[in-house]
Amino acid sequence: MIITNYMRSEHRACDELFADAEKSVIDGDFTKAEEQFLKFSNETLRHFKKEEDELFVVFESITGNSEGPTRVMRFEHEQVRGVIGKMAEAIESRDKDAYLSLAESMMILLQQHNMKEEQMLYAMCDRVIPQDKKEETLKNMDKIEL
Amino acid sequence: MFNQGGLSLEQAPPISVVLRFFITGGIFGVILSLFMLFNIDNSLIIVHLLGLGVMASFMLGAMFQMLPVIAGVVIKTPTKKALVVHILLSLGILLQISAFSTSSNPYLYLSSSIILGGGLLYASILMFKRLIEIKDHSSSSKGMLFAISSFIITIILGVVMLLTIGGYLDMPYLLLKLRDIHYSFAIFGWVTLLIIAISFQVIEMFFVTPKYPTIMTKYLILSLFSLLVIKSILIFSSIDTILIDITLSSLLIIYAGVTLHRLYRRRRPTADGSVWFWRFGMILLIISLSTFFIDNLRDITYISFIGFALSIIFAMVYKIVPFLVWFHLSNQGYMEAPMMHDIIHPKRVKIHFFIHLTLFIILIINSFLNFTTLNIVSNIFLTISFSWILYHIVIATRKYYYIQRSFTPIKW
Ligand SMILES: [Fe+2]
Ligand SMILES: [Fe+2]
Repeated sequence: MIITNYMRSEHRACDELFADAEKSVIDGDFTKAEEQFLKFSNETLRHFKKEEDELFVVFESITGNSEGPTRVMRFEHEQVRGVIGKMAEAIESRDKDAYLSLAESMMILLQQHNMKEEQMLYAMCDRVIPQDKKEETLKNMDKIEL
Repeated sequence: MFNQGGLSLEQAPPISVVLRFFITGGIFGVILSLFMLFNIDNSLIIVHLLGLGVMASFMLGAMFQMLPVIAGVVIKTPTKKALVVHILLSLGILLQISAFSTSSNPYLYLSSSIILGGGLLYASILMFKRLIEIKDHSSSSKGMLFAISSFIITIILGVVMLLTIGGYLDMPYLLLKLRDIHYSFAIFGWVTLLIIAISFQVIEMFFVTPKYPTIMTKYLILSLFSLLVIKSILIFSSIDTILIDITLSSLLIIYAGVTLHRLYRRRRPTADGSVWFWRFGMILLIISLSTFFIDNLRDITYISFIGFALSIIFAMVYKIVPFLVWFHLSNQGYMEAPMMHDIIHPKRVKIHFFIHLTLFIILIINSFLNFTTLNIVSNIFLTISFSWILYHIVIATRKYYYIQRSFTPIKW
């Protein structure tokens, strides 16, 4: 379960960054919120990149299937990227209500995505990728920068 | 290899699948409150309007939506299946109510057992079959499997009882026992297990809370289901079930306490209506189970259990509906897709929470006082409560179709 555990803890770390930014917006501290939101979006986008450039590629090459679950996950990443952009706009224009509304959508969208990954895709990865290949993939993912 | 995941872009069912059940749940809620308001004092009717008309409608709608996400289960041609279930369920409930209110017409019992039982069994067996195929079970998907199993048991017993009362089966001596088992599985199995299964995912992920203890996510639902099975055997053999009841209640009280503690330690700051509904629901669950063994407080046990289930249902509906409207419209490429807060504003949810809170406080107080005026007041609050949620679901639905009609989507 090393893939699932590694990736799940990244999901949770992003959730915490997300919650911190939301808290600052509620408190009206947009300077701090901007900083925290940037952290959240960077970490999330880096996580997506790890998946798209490493994990999914390995999964696709082993299963020979690039039209299956990974395609859906890539598509959902695009949806999340879209909302990240809108949230950044809301922070920039100091629009608290728009931010909190988008935050709600983002949270549901992202958590649905994460649930599917944690329960299906990562579980499949842990099942089909050989142990040494898993360790190598984890190492490669660690190196990925935005 | 992929059939268990079966992820596809189309896996989110069309919005109509979910909304039709939610709107029906709201309508039955209003019908129920009108029955209460006009003092139609038939507890069989009230219980089934609430349990099937309101709760099962909302819960089936939510299941259609959540099975793909929480359990990775895809239901093929969901629109058609939901339509069939929806029609049979609505018609079946009306027939059942008529059967209970005339109580002498055997054909009403026969037709309601076939239509209502058929519709519900069709839906639950469909979900059961997909859930049992899952390879990598999470605590939530396993929990849903046990909840659905409890639902199937509840339905079968219900059908048997309808046929017995209608005179088609000859075992009136079993009726009381069957009734007790039927209610146990409905209340502690279907409703409670489903809520627990959902909470294991939703609480931690959406409110960013610490994890539930592993021992709880691993064994709680299994233990509760086993206790229900043992309880049924004891009921059947006419043996006292008090020990089982105490264990069952203690486990659930611990669960509610742990859930309240998770919510208290949540990292997400928003104290919106849904957090309040979850908290109040858990408090009511604790009240319900701690009064379970005191005979004079039976009314409080029932009232607070109903309040618990409705709290969680409302918490879910107020998140699901605006999300789905936003999600489907943006996915279809409508730039004009309204944001969640413009579909149902959080303030509206908070107002509903206060209506709901007041209602259950009055109900609990009045279970001691028994004032006629308070009774009328609480029935008015009940009517407002269900009208409130129905109104907001309908408004959200209209916004969805309005955008679809009035604008052109961008293809991408
Ligand atoms: Fe992802
Ligand atoms: Fe991920």
